[in-house]
Amino acid sequence: MSSGPRHYSPYDAPMWESIGQRRMTLQQCECGSFRYPPGPACPDCGSLRYAWVPLSGRARLLSWTIFHRQYLPAYPAPTLVVAAQLEEGPIMVANMDVSIAAELALDRPLVMAYADHPDGYVIPVFRLSAPAGAATAAA
Amino acid sequence: MEAGSLDKSLARGAAVVGIGHTDWPGDYQRVRKGEKPHDSYGYAAAAFQQALRDAGLGRDDIDGLIVGPTTAYERMGEILGINPRWGGQGDAVQAILQACMAIHSGMAEVIALVYGNDQRSAKTQYGGPEASGGQNFLSYVYHSPWGLTSQGALYALMVNRYMQLHGMTMADLGRVAVAQRQWASLNPNAIMRKPVSLEDYLASEFIAEPLRLLDYCLINDGGVALIVTTPSRARRLGRPAVHIEGAGRADLNREATSLGPRLLEFYRPAQKLAAQQSYAMAGLGPRDMDALLVYDSFSPHIFFALEGFGYCDIGDAAGFIARTGIGVGGGLPVNTGGGHLSESYMQGWAHQVEAVRQLRGGLGERQVPGCRRVHYVSDVAGKAVSIIYGS
Repeated sequence: MSSGPRHYSPYDAPMWESIGQRRMTLQQCECGSFRYPPGPACPDCGSLRYAWVPLSGRARLLSWTIFHRQYLPAYPAPTLVVAAQLEEGPIMVANMDVSIAAELALDRPLVMAYADHPDGYVIPVFRLSAPAGAATAAA
Repeated sequence: MEAGSLDKSLARGAAVVGIGHTDWPGDYQRVRKGEKPHDSYGYAAAAFQQALRDAGLGRDDIDGLIVGPTTAYERMGEILGINPRWGGQGDAVQAILQACMAIHSGMAEVIALVYGNDQRSAKTQYGGPEASGGQNFLSYVYHSPWGLTSQGALYALMVNRYMQLHGMTMADLGRVAVAQRQWASLNPNAIMRKPVSLEDYLASEFIAEPLRLLDYCLINDGGVALIVTTPSRARRLGRPAVHIEGAGRADLNREATSLGPRLLEFYRPAQKLAAQQSYAMAGLGPRDMDALLVYDSFSPHIFFALEGFGYCDIGDAAGFIARTGIGVGGGLPVNTGGGHLSESYMQGWAHQVEAVRQLRGGLGERQVPGCRRVHYVSDVAGKAVSIIYGS
C-alpha cells in the first residue's frame, strides 16, 4: 500500500482507512454529534466516547473556488474546490470536476464519490446529485 | 462577559510614543534583485532604533519587550541588548493588548513592540503542505489532499459564498483594491504606488476565483517597532502621544478547521463582541471613527469588517462602499496607507504605525482631515480584535 495523506492526529488513521475502502466513516459521539476533523473529544458535550459511523454521502454546497494557479503537484490549474455541509452536520472541503463549475449554486445537493489521488491513495470527492426524477436515467 | 460589565480603567491607560519601520520599498527592490538586506531580527532591530529615536528614549528606558510571531523572544532580547522585567510574544494586536495590560498592571512602564519578517527573501510558504501557520491553524493545511491550499483560497470560499448570498459583484469586490491603491499612491512608504482603475482590476488575473492578484496582500521583507508607555510618562516626553482608548477581543475556535465560523457566520459573532467591548470601553461607536484600518491579507476582509464591527448592515457592505466611499476623500477612509494590498505586508504591524501617523497629523494629501480617532480591526483565523486609537 502506498503512503497515504499526512495524518495530523492519530484519529485521522481510521478515517483514511475507511476512505480507502470507499466507505467514509466519521466519529459519532454518544450525544449524536459528528466530528470533523476527527479528534479526541466532542466539542459539543466533552465526551471522549465515540463510534465510527458511515456517512450517508449526501451534502449541500456552501461555496466553491476555482484555482487558476497551480500550488500542488497533484492539482494542475484549473481546479475546482468546494465546501459542502454533510447531512451529518460537519462541513467538508473536497473537490469536483471543474467542467461542472457553471452548474454550481448555493445549496445545490451533492453526493460523495471516491477518486484516486495521484499520490496513490483514495480521496472522497463530490459530484452533482442527480435531479429528482432523474435517478433512473442516471442508473 | 457582557460589554456593560467591562472594567473601563484600561481606557486611555497606555500611549504610543514611538514608531519606526524599515524602508519597505527599498527592502522590496533589494530582495527582488536577489539581495538579503537582513534576517527577521535585523529588520526588527532597524525598526527598533527608529522607534526609540522617534520617542526620544534610550534603550535603557525599555523595561518591557514584546516580539512578533516570526522571531524568538529570547533571541530578540539578546540582539537588542534588552534585559526586560516583563515580556512576551504576540501578533500585532495581541502585542498592543498585552502592552496595555502590562502597563495597566505595573509590570512594565516602557515597552518595545518589535516585529521583523524576512518572508520574501526567505521564501516563506503561505500555501502548500508545509504552509506557514499550519501548526496553529489546521485549516491552512488539512484540506490539501483535495487541492485546497493557501489562505487566499479560504477567503475565496468565504467571499464567494457572501457574493452568492448577497448578490455582490466582481466590480463591488474590486473597489477595495482600487481605493487602497489610491491611498498608497500618496504614501511614500508604500511598495505599490501605481494607481489602478476598476477596469485594470477586472482585467487582472484570477488566483483563487473570485479573488484576483490585486485582492492579495504583498509578500515583502521588513520590520516595524512601536514604543508604548504610560500616559504620564508620555506627557513627560513632551512629544505627540496617541492613546489606546478602547480594546476588545473575541475568538471563534469551534469548527475552525472545517471552516464553520468563516462560511456560516463570516466571523460576525466574534467581531460583534470585540466591537461592543471596545466601543463600551472608549464610550464611542463606529460613527465616531475618522478612519478605519483593517487587517487585509485579502480584500474581502474589508466587507466583513464593515458589517461585523457595526459600520453598516449585514449584506450592505458593497452598497456602503459605493455610497460612502473608502478611498481618498471618502466618507470613511479605510486603510489610508494602502494596507497589506499596496503598502506593505507587515501582518497588521504597519497598520498600527499608520494609525499613529494619522492621529499625529501632517500627512499631506493622505491626511484624513481632523483625524481624532482611528479604529483598527482584525479577524485573522477567527480571532476578532478591535482597537480604538485617539489623539
